Amino acid sequence: MLASTIGQQLVNGLTLGGMYALIALGYTLVYGIMLMINFAHSEMFMSGAYVGLFTLQLLTNQTIITNAAKVLPFMSGMQSARVFFTGSGFGLFICFVIVFGVAMVAVGFMGVLIERFAYRPLRHAPRLAPLISAIGVSIFLQNAVLLWIDSKAIPFPKVMPVHDIKLGGGVSISTLQILILVTTLVLLACLDTFVARTKIGKAMRATSQDREAAGLMGIDINSVIALAFFIGPALGAVAGVFAGMYYGSVSFSMGFLPGIKSFTAAVIGGIGNLRGAILGGFALGIIESLAAGFLSSGYKDVVAFAILILVLIFRPGGLLGESVVEKV
Amino acid sequence: MSMGKASKYVALIAVLVVMAMMVTACGGSTASTSTGTSKTATVKVAVGAPLTAGAVALGKGMERGAKLAIADVNASAAAKKAGITFEVFSGDDQGDPKTGVNVANQFASDSKVIGVMGHLNSGVSIPASKVYNQANLVMISPASTNPALTQQGLKNVFRVCTIDSVQGPSAADSASKDLSKKVAFVVDDSTPYGVGLADEFAKQFEKDGGKVAGREKTGDKDTDFKALVTKIGAAGPDIVYYGGIYNSGALLSKQLKEGGVKVPLMGGDGLYDGEYIKLAGTAAEGDFATSVGLPLDLLPKGQDFTAEFKKAYPGEEIAAYDAYSYDAATVIMNAAVEVAGKLGADKVSTTAGKKAVIDAVAKTDFEGITGKISFDSKGDTTNKAITLYTVTSGKWGPFKK
Repeated sequence: MLASTIGQQLVNGLTLGGMYALIALGYTLVYGIMLMINFAHSEMFMSGAYVGLFTLQLLTNQTIITNAAKVLPFMSGMQSARVFFTGSGFGLFICFVIVFGVAMVAVGFMGVLIERFAYRPLRHAPRLAPLISAIGVSIFLQNAVLLWIDSKAIPFPKVMPVHDIKLGGGVSISTLQILILVTTLVLLACLDTFVARTKIGKAMRATSQDREAAGLMGIDINSVIALAFFIGPALGAVAGVFAGMYYGSVSFSMGFLPGIKSFTAAVIGGIGNLRGAILGGFALGIIESLAAGFLSSGYKDVVAFAILILVLIFRPGGLLGESVVEKV
Repeated sequence: MSMGKASKYVALIAVLVVMAMMVTACGGSTASTSTGTSKTATVKVAVGAPLTAGAVALGKGMERGAKLAIADVNASAAAKKAGITFEVFSGDDQGDPKTGVNVANQFASDSKVIGVMGHLNSGVSIPASKVYNQANLVMISPASTNPALTQQGLKNVFRVCTIDSVQGPSAADSASKDLSKKVAFVVDDSTPYGVGLADEFAKQFEKDGGKVAGREKTGDKDTDFKALVTKIGAAGPDIVYYGGIYNSGALLSKQLKEGGVKVPLMGGDGLYDGEYIKLAGTAAEGDFATSVGLPLDLLPKGQDFTAEFKKAYPGEEIAAYDAYSYDAATVIMNAAVEVAGKLGADKVSTTAGKKAVIDAVAKTDFEGITGKISFDSKGDTTNKAITLYTVTSGKWGPFKK
């Protein structure tokens, strides 16, 4: 009885942790290169959920396709595509690839645009200036969604047949949880290899170590920074679509709490350190689920932030972060 | 030099005196013209509700109800005779106590506001009521059901909905007697509304011989209930009671059923809205909610209200508090019309006028859309009817055994 509950909470925690890890990577990537906390990142998560929702509706919702076809005649061809997307497992797979692809690319470009217009002009300003600019972007995006889309929460369509798979010992994992975990792990592995093995990854690491020296060595700093602002929001967008599917609704304010939690995860793991963000994300997700299961749901946020304080007191650099000497 | 300086001051003072005289003369002349002709005035009825965040579907309904009532009262013979016209002044409290107090201060600082119809959330109504008390503004909530609201001893605070200490136990009685549920898991959203309702439910459910298998707190903006669902599943209840609003309640219901805990979710009036079904989807089927009063189509004036509503808002659905807000706004305006008849329409927005409005509201006794409306000494409605609703084929309807 007890063991099965612990097992089940671990499954919940891993799924939640995967989402935190995806968002935390965005904070840590940007911090590593720019030494700046991108507070607009939680809105990338929210935007991802909306882009994913609208793409999914365009691919699978009959009435929405019919209405869209009235405005754009070529959309009428989508009706037959809809049958394909919702008809078989393979169609659903392709559908998800498109949904996640569109969300990643759209939100990635949004991140690049935000960097270009809200942060780049402030690159040589005092450290506080881009931080405040980021908060401004965050408030702007939330209110834009509130005004142009809806103030109400929108239900996320249930397209994937979700059923539980028994793992034994009374623990089960749903197909959606498997999808989230597998996708997360694949993306994390890809990013890790990308940064560690490729030439552009090397340029990113070099920029993160010393931006000016890297520039002198012939690295195009602007495109490296733009790349970081593409990858981070794109991963956040994936987490956003998953959150919509997993919890069942999207709303303009949905980014706030996951954003803060993921930031916490990035700090716990050592901000600026990619593997640290992943470790921090999973650790936080599991701790939160266990706290909700064994203490009380009301205490899960308390426990999460108490751990942040403890880590900051005893390991100010985070679990995997090296204590960096203040740059002069 | 010193003489020159002094004469400058004299000139300045002279100008100020002349200006002051002109201002008072102007004031005097307008006052005399308004007493000379028939005294007319336009005053504002403030509507405090969540309009952009929180329980927006219910908040928008409050605004709709108030607007309908204002149009009807403005067209009535009594208001025309008293020379008083009403305008709506909406404030968006976002279901948040801090924002709510800001909105309350905004209402209080507008001298034309003569009363407040609001707020929705008990957590907002309670702090806001203190602001209105200092400004001598009457406040009638159509929806705040936490008993504490009217237990503060504030003379200006009223409500037209039944309180949680009636609604919670009524839900518990229905669960144990009508639905024969034995084991309940009780969850709340940590707001005064949710906690009050959940506590009252739990108390009565145990009194009725049921067992409360667990008592949990969540946040009113939470979306992640997965860990909680696992815990509820392990406790093995045959009903889950949720004290809170539909935004989170719908997600809890959805995640419960996805997590294999296939028992109905029951809640209070905060769940009783079409948005709940939209968000929860098929998971909402068979869920329960109690709501204040009787269903509209069972009330004598309900049909008329439905017809009027459909005409004014084609394509929209009546939410839980449209009719209550209509009644609450009407009570405020009736009192204002009465005061206008006694003191003159231009005196309603003075301090004495506002105090007279509070006294007139306290003596209210009229047949509203939602039934007979009168208040006890604390300001609670004397109408204590509660109805149990359930979701069948994607629609809320009264529960029949």
